Amino acid sequence: MFYIFDGAMGTMLHQAGLQPGKCPELWNIEEPAKITAVHSQYVAAGANIIETNTFGANRIKLSHYGLENKVAALNTAAVAAARQAAGTTAQVAGSVGPTGKFIEPLGELTFDDAYDVFYEQISALDQAGIDYIIIETIIDIQEMRVALLAAKAATDKPIICQLSFDADGRTVTGTDPRTAAITLEAMGASIIGANCSLGPAQLLPVIEILSQNCTLPISVQPNAGMPQLVNGQTVFPMSAEEMAEWVPKLAAAGASFIGGCCGTTPAHIKAIRQTVDKLPYKERQLPTPFTALTSRTRAVTLGARFAPVIIGERINPTGRKALAADIKEGNFITVKKDALAQIKAGAAILDVNMGVPGINQVATMKQAIEDLSTLVDAPLAIDTTDPATLEVALKAYPGRALINSITAETERMEAFFPLAKKFGAAVLCLPIADSGVPMTAVDRVAVAKKLIATAQEYGLNRDDLLLDALVMTVATDAQAAAETLQTLKLYREQLGCPSVMGLSNVSFGLPRRDLMNAAFCAMALDAGLDAPILNPFDPLMQDIWSAAVALSGRNPQAVIEYSKKYVALPAGAAPSLPAETSADILTQIRQCVINGETTGVAPLVRQALAENHTPLTITEQALTAAMNEVGQAFGKGLCFLPQVLLSAETMRTAFNTIKEELPAHQTQSLGTVLLATVKGDIHDLGKNIVAALMENNGFTVIDLGKDVDAETIVAAAKQHHPQIVGLCALMTTTLPQIDIAIAALKADGFSGKTIVGGAVLTENYARQAGADAYAANGIDAVNIAKQLLATH
Amino acid sequence: MPIYCPTLTTIDLNATKRHINKVNQPGSFTTDMLTAACLQAQLLSVPKGVWQVYAYDQDEHTILANKPLALTAANLIRQLTGAVEIVIMAATIGLPLELEVSNLFMQNQASSGMLLDAAGTTAITATSNAVYNVISQQAAQAGLTAGNRICPGFGDCPLDLQPEVLKLSTGSRIDLSLTDTKMLVPRKSVTAIIGLYPYQNTLSFPHQQELNCDKNGHPGCHARKEK
Repeated sequence: MFYIFDGAMGTMLHQAGLQPGKCPELWNIEEPAKITAVHSQYVAAGANIIETNTFGANRIKLSHYGLENKVAALNTAAVAAARQAAGTTAQVAGSVGPTGKFIEPLGELTFDDAYDVFYEQISALDQAGIDYIIIETIIDIQEMRVALLAAKAATDKPIICQLSFDADGRTVTGTDPRTAAITLEAMGASIIGANCSLGPAQLLPVIEILSQNCTLPISVQPNAGMPQLVNGQTVFPMSAEEMAEWVPKLAAAGASFIGGCCGTTPAHIKAIRQTVDKLPYKERQLPTPFTALTSRTRAVTLGARFAPVIIGERINPTGRKALAADIKEGNFITVKKDALAQIKAGAAILDVNMGVPGINQVATMKQAIEDLSTLVDAPLAIDTTDPATLEVALKAYPGRALINSITAETERMEAFFPLAKKFGAAVLCLPIADSGVPMTAVDRVAVAKKLIATAQEYGLNRDDLLLDALVMTVATDAQAAAETLQTLKLYREQLGCPSVMGLSNVSFGLPRRDLMNAAFCAMALDAGLDAPILNPFDPLMQDIWSAAVALSGRNPQAVIEYSKKYVALPAGAAPSLPAETSADILTQIRQCVINGETTGVAPLVRQALAENHTPLTITEQALTAAMNEVGQAFGKGLCFLPQVLLSAETMRTAFNTIKEELPAHQTQSLGTVLLATVKGDIHDLGKNIVAALMENNGFTVIDLGKDVDAETIVAAAKQHHPQIVGLCALMTTTLPQIDIAIAALKADGFSGKTIVGGAVLTENYARQAGADAYAANGIDAVNIAKQLLATH
Repeated sequence: MPIYCPTLTTIDLNATKRHINKVNQPGSFTTDMLTAACLQAQLLSVPKGVWQVYAYDQDEHTILANKPLALTAANLIRQLTGAVEIVIMAATIGLPLELEVSNLFMQNQASSGMLLDAAGTTAITATSNAVYNVISQQAAQAGLTAGNRICPGFGDCPLDLQPEVLKLSTGSRIDLSLTDTKMLVPRKSVTAIIGLYPYQNTLSFPHQQELNCDKNGHPGCHARKEK
């Protein structure tokens, strides 16, 4: 059947006399009759669920009015007022709105503090006698998770979870409806939906996606169109009749709980009721259950109906001393780099293991999960054997994680299954019993069945479970791989859960492990493997994976992706090897500098020296010639600053190579240049670029840095006797310091030249300030410096 | 108002290219370097934002904070015509990225330093956009639409306002400060004044039209768009 919610409360209260800026929830105690009157209007209009006037009745929101100690009183009074109107006609839903703060790491509110706030309010609502809890207008999935967890602990009543979506179809913090549906159904929501921010037209596609991705009833409470402020009043322009026209579409999309949010009135609800009464109710077609993991912003599906995916295994300190050391020091840069690199290499899910002896596992895993969940949108697998670590990770993770893993050992199941159920996590099941590792496929399937049955006793479903086929090394058992492949086949035939396994165990103790692992991967995919845990950086594995997935037929895009990946490469070609050249060595060096090949130039310079080319010849005919060509290309707009800088760095490497090979050789400096960003200016990018170009073009550079006062510039000029002083200013507020510095230099008798530059400087200003030249960019500065010294 | 730490799950390559005026050349070596710079920016950025909402006296052109701020710049006042509330926001990506840029230059890796700096500009733009989106959404629930971000030192907004703007944004909560010359520290930071206007879908306000980069009077702006 259809359920009709009420409409907006806020606008009705303002019409009843609530003054702007006053706490609406306080009226539950001060004006209960008026609250009941609003509810009665909605009941009369046909609502069969009315929401309590408690949207902001949590401790944090109430503290804005100094009412934080009245949570219980206000919520209890609200339920009483609603119950009086509801009578036997309607049911009462306790409204729970957001706290207004973001939960860490997106904000300052801790998970536990947020939980306590929601628990306090929801307990009060439950004890006062509501029929539902409705958590609504939530913009961040993590806040919804916390509220849902608190609600599950505080009440047995059905829990409605409604997020607010933007016009781009995501919440403000990036969650799409599909991800939300999967995450919240797994966590135990009773009804999932959307409200506020958008009108019915904009919410229709959201409802469709929610409906296609969960088996729960769907709710929708749109605004009455987009708001307008007319004569100081917020007006929502959609009429009751217009709103009601959307009801059949919303119902067809899957909604069975329908109401209104901002701007809707009893007239709107009446129109909706009248439409619904004429609408035949059809049970919506539920999606076939499937297994998926989610992050805050993305869902990844697993199973026979979907393409196989890689679980990246590299965030694991086992056997990685440097990573272990970093983790021990609390340095997560390598963890983050590995995460990004694995995703770039094709991993769709990342396994996270923080198992370093002697550290605080709980705090470390929490940090890792928070850092990674804000860095990547790939779902995470939490790899730990410690229940306390697992719990804190599941709290911190704003999605549906994969627990890696649970065995059929009694203690492990008792500790881990309840956490999986509570936090809506998926579970990787290892068919290892108290008696040890089953060696045959048949025995593994038997243990897996026991695991599944136990998981179901804890309230988990089949689509919450993934099965590990167990991989042992063929070095000690020649049949090991065959048994694993048979296990995969039996899992597919008999159990239907997605399969996962760590491939690399198969080759332990053998040479050319990469060959074994890659071959095993292809065979396992054919046997039904859905998600291998592997090293995505292994180039042979990457190639075999691409080919095997394309051959498997499980990913319609895989053949096209394979073609795109390999089409430029003839068979056997290694794309990174440069083609051989027959050009003379000086031409090769020149080209190397033009191309910015910093790693390739050193061997060429050594070869040139070995062929008895002098440093002067190399400098003039290769290096300087190259930079001149680069400079000309820059001037014509054919290349740009990064390329120029790279060429300059390559030239520098060449100079350093000459110095290494011929320590006695002295390169002659073209002159000394003193550089500074003037006093009060902290921007130094432009000055740094000029310094790099000057140095790489053969000048000696004295860099005074940024925010340098005139006195320091004058003193440095006295000390170093530069031929040129270069001054930089970025902002109009620091421009006058250019004049001051130049005047100070002249007053001190500086006889060299001054060049100025920076975003706000012009040729005119430079002239007025008394500079000898204005440089528009770094290349200009180098060329001007050379010209000035040539004429000096 | 809360502190908001938006996620940066990607640093846009094309936006970063725009910041260094680099056209897309097929097979260009700098694409790999750009990708590396964007990844590094993602690792080093610590995105944070904060904002406060104030009533606005349109007649007196005054932001009604505890210490009211009367606006005097004519073009700024014109841009805020019709605003009923003002949001003052601040956003940053923190210090680590700019420190690494300096390191790279000191190690004679100027090209990498320059690319990382450009990626940092993309990161702060994305951070500012994410904070603005939250502000917009919250405003919409009250029947208001958020106008363009007006930043001190850019276009019609004098840099002299920066100290008051930073204070009103409560930017110190995200560790923002100012030099004596009114530059934000860390450098990859922004502040902005945002008018909140009654939502009228039948009218178009001049201030809601995008200002052409040639007209904003700031040629050195890192966010400058190519024509």
